[in-house]
Amino acid sequence: MRVLTALSLLALAGLLALGVSGVFPRPELPSADEVAAEWGAENVVAAIILGVRLWDTLFEILVYAMTIVGVKLGLRLLRWERPLPPVAETPLLRRSADLLLGPVVVFALYVAVSGHLGPGGGFPAGAILGTALLLLALAKGVERLSAEIHEPALEWAEYGAIVAILALAGGLLLLGRRGSGYLVAANVLIALEVAIGAWVVLHRFASSRGEV
Amino acid sequence: MAAALSGVLLYLGLGLLGFVGAPRAFSLVALLGGATTFALWAPGFPEVLVGGLPWGIAVAGDTWTVGLWALGLVLHATLLVHAWAKDSAFHPLTTVLIGTCLAGALSRDLFNLYVLMDLSSLIALVLIASGRRVRAVWAGLQYLVLTEVGLTLYLFGLGLVYGRLGTLSVSALAERGPNLSDPALAVGVGLLLAGTAVKTGVFLLGLWLPQAHGQAPTEVSVLLSGIVVKIGVVTLARLAEAFPVGTVLLFLGVLTGFGGLLYALWEKDLKVFLGFHTVSQLGYMLIGLGLGAGTGALLYAVAHGLFKGLLFLAAGEAVERTGQRQIAFLTGRLSLPLAVGLGVGACAIAGLPPLAGFAAKGVLALGAPGWAKGAFFALGLGTAASFSKLVPLLRPRERGPAGGLPVLAAAVVALGVAGTVLAGDLLAPRAWGEAILVVGLGYGLYHGLSRVRPGLPRWGFDWSVVSLLGASVGVAGLVAFGGL
Amino acid sequence: MEGLAAVALAIALVGVGFWTLIVRRNLIWKLLGLNVGASGAILFLVALAHRPGARPPIVGLGPGPSADPLPHALVLTAIVIDFATLALALVYVIFLTEHRHTQDVERLERDEERGWPQP
Repeated sequence: MRVLTALSLLALAGLLALGVSGVFPRPELPSADEVAAEWGAENVVAAIILGVRLWDTLFEILVYAMTIVGVKLGLRLLRWERPLPPVAETPLLRRSADLLLGPVVVFALYVAVSGHLGPGGGFPAGAILGTALLLLALAKGVERLSAEIHEPALEWAEYGAIVAILALAGGLLLLGRRGSGYLVAANVLIALEVAIGAWVVLHRFASSRGEV
Repeated sequence: MAAALSGVLLYLGLGLLGFVGAPRAFSLVALLGGATTFALWAPGFPEVLVGGLPWGIAVAGDTWTVGLWALGLVLHATLLVHAWAKDSAFHPLTTVLIGTCLAGALSRDLFNLYVLMDLSSLIALVLIASGRRVRAVWAGLQYLVLTEVGLTLYLFGLGLVYGRLGTLSVSALAERGPNLSDPALAVGVGLLLAGTAVKTGVFLLGLWLPQAHGQAPTEVSVLLSGIVVKIGVVTLARLAEAFPVGTVLLFLGVLTGFGGLLYALWEKDLKVFLGFHTVSQLGYMLIGLGLGAGTGALLYAVAHGLFKGLLFLAAGEAVERTGQRQIAFLTGRLSLPLAVGLGVGACAIAGLPPLAGFAAKGVLALGAPGWAKGAFFALGLGTAASFSKLVPLLRPRERGPAGGLPVLAAAVVALGVAGTVLAGDLLAPRAWGEAILVVGLGYGLYHGLSRVRPGLPRWGFDWSVVSLLGASVGVAGLVAFGGL
Repeated sequence: MEGLAAVALAIALVGVGFWTLIVRRNLIWKLLGLNVGASGAILFLVALAHRPGARPPIVGLGPGPSADPLPHALVLTAIVIDFATLALALVYVIFLTEHRHTQDVERLERDEERGWPQP
C-alpha cells in the first residue's frame, strides 16, 4: 500500500512539475488600475472580490454560512457523559483581555472600513473580531460570554447580514450602481457575518469538548 | 439574464431566511419565484459577463441551463410535496442547495464552477449527516475528503490553464484555440477533468458515491442523484466545450459505465445498488459528451435525474418503513404506491418505451458510431439484468400513502412521451422491438449470472484516495500524451 | 525565480499532505494532511500571480506593472472553502468519536464490515 501510495504521489508530483515548468513566463495581463478606478477602489483585489467577481463572493459567503449551519446541526445533540472540564481562569488573562479588547475591535473596524483602499477587507476584519471574542471567552468563560452577548439575536443578525449582502449584490448586479460607499458597506456586512460565524463555531466546539 | 440571476438570488435569500423561521413557506415561495423567473428567461439568453471586463463571470442560458433548471424545479416540487413535514433545517438547506445547482447550470466560468461544486458538496454533506446515523456520517465524511482532494487537483489545473491562456471563461478559452501539445496546458486540462470526475463520482476516481448516496436519508438521496451529480456533469460538458478532450471522456465513460455496472450486478443493499447504478449511468452521459452529442447527453442527464429520483424515493421509503435494507428481505413488503413507483423507475432505467430512459437512450444512439452503439447495448443489457433483481419486490402488500411519487412518475412518463414523439425515429416499431428485446435478454442474463459469485475488491477509505490519485495521474497523462 | 521556488514548495506541500492523508490511520491526522495538501494549491495560485519586479496590485504603490490580481482574489475564496471543509469534517469526527469511541480508520472500517456492533 505504501509503495503504491508513494508511486502515485511521485507520479502526481512529476506531472505537476511538468505542468508548472511550462507556465512561466506568463502572458501579458490586462491593466488592473483602471478596473480599480472604475469601482471606486484603490485595492484591485477588493475591486475584484466585491465588484467584478461578486457573483463568486456571494457563494463564498454562503459556503461560510452553510458551514456554520452544519456545525450547529452536527454538534447540537451530542450528549457527553462527563461534565465539561473547566477552563483555567487567571487574573492575568482577565486583565489583558480588558486592555486588549478595545484596540483589537478598533483595528478590526479599521481593516473593514479601509479594505477597498489597501490590504484588508471584510474577511480578515471578521477573523480579527472573532479573535477578540475568543480573547473574551478565554477570560470570562464561554458560557458566560454566550449569555452576555445574546446568542440567538446574534444568529438572526448573521442571517440578516447575509440577506442584506445578497440584496446589495442583487441591486448592484441588476442596476449597475458602483462606488466606494457600496464597497465599505459590503465589507462591514461581511465582517459582521464572519465574526458572528467565528463565534458560533468557537462556542459549539468549546462546549462539545471532552475526552476520547 | 437579469431574470435568471434574480431567480438564483431569490432561492439563496429565501433559503437563508428559512433558517430564521417559517421554513416551508419560504421554500414554497422560492419555488414559485424560481418558476416565474424561469418562465421569463426560458427562451435562453446569450453569454453575458456578470461584473464586466476583464475578469467578469460568464453566464448564459443555453440548453443545458434550461434542462437543469427544469429538473431542479421538478425535484424541488416533489420534495415539497413529499417531505412537507420534515424538520426545520431540511427545507432551508434544500432550498439553498437547489439554488446552488441552478447557479451551476448558468455558470460558464471555471472558478465559479469550482466554488459551486464545493458549496454543493458541503450542503449535501450537512444533509447526509442530518439523519444522525453513524453509517451516513461515515459515508459523508469520506465523501467530503475525497471531493476535497479532487477539487485541490481541480484548483491546480485551473491555475495552469489560467496561467497559459489568461482567462477563466469557457467561451474565451475555446476561442483561444487551446493547443494540448503544450505540456502545461495539457496537464492543467487533465487535472481539471480528473477533479470534476471525482466530484461527479466517475468510477475509480469518485468511489465515495455509492455509499454516500445509499446511506443518506431518502429525500437527500433523491437530491444527490437527481441534481447534485449533474453539477459535475455540466462542468464536464463545459470542459468538453472549451478543450478537445472527447477521447478522454469516451474512455472515462466506458470505464464508469461498466465499472459501476459490475458492482451493481452483485450488490444486495437496495439503496447502495441504486448508488452503483448512478455511477454506471454516468457512463451514458460521458460517452454522449465524448461523441459531441450534447443534446443526447443533456436529455440523458435530465431523464436520469427524474427516474433515479423516483427510484430513490420509492426505495428509500421502503427501507425507512420496513427497517430492512437488503433486497431479499424486502420481498413482498412494499405498499402499492412504492411498488408502482419502483416498477416505473426500473422500467425507465432499463429503457422500456415510452418512458424517459427509452427516449434518452434512443436520442443518444441516433448519431453514435457502431462501437458506441455496441457499448450502449451491453450497458443496457447489464442494467436490465441487474434490475431484474427487483422483480420480486414489485408484488405489493397493501395500499399506502403515495407522497411525492406521482409527481416524479408523471414527469418520467411525460419526458419519455415527449422525447419519443419529438425525436421522430423512435416511433418506429423497430426501435420499440429492440428496446424490449434488450430488456428480455437482460432478464435471461440475470438468471445465468445469479449462479456466479465473483469476489469484487472492496475499496476502503485509503484505497479510494490512492485510486483517486492514480486515476487522476492516468487521466492527466492521457490528455498530455494524447495531445503530443 | 522566486515564483519557481514557491511552486516547488507548493508541489512538496501537496506530496506531504496527501501522504499524511493516506498513510496515517487517525482521522485528525488525515484531515491535517488534507489541509496541508490543499494549501499547496493555494500557494501555487499565489506564486502564479508573481511577476519579476512587480508591485502589489494596489493603485499608487509605485510605478511599473502590478502583480496579477485575479489569483489573489481566487485564493481568498479557496481559503474560506478550505476552512469550511476542515470545520465541517472535524464536526463529523467529533460525532464519530462520540458514537464509536475511536478515530482510527481501520477500526471504523472493520466495524462497518461487521454492521456497526455496539462499541
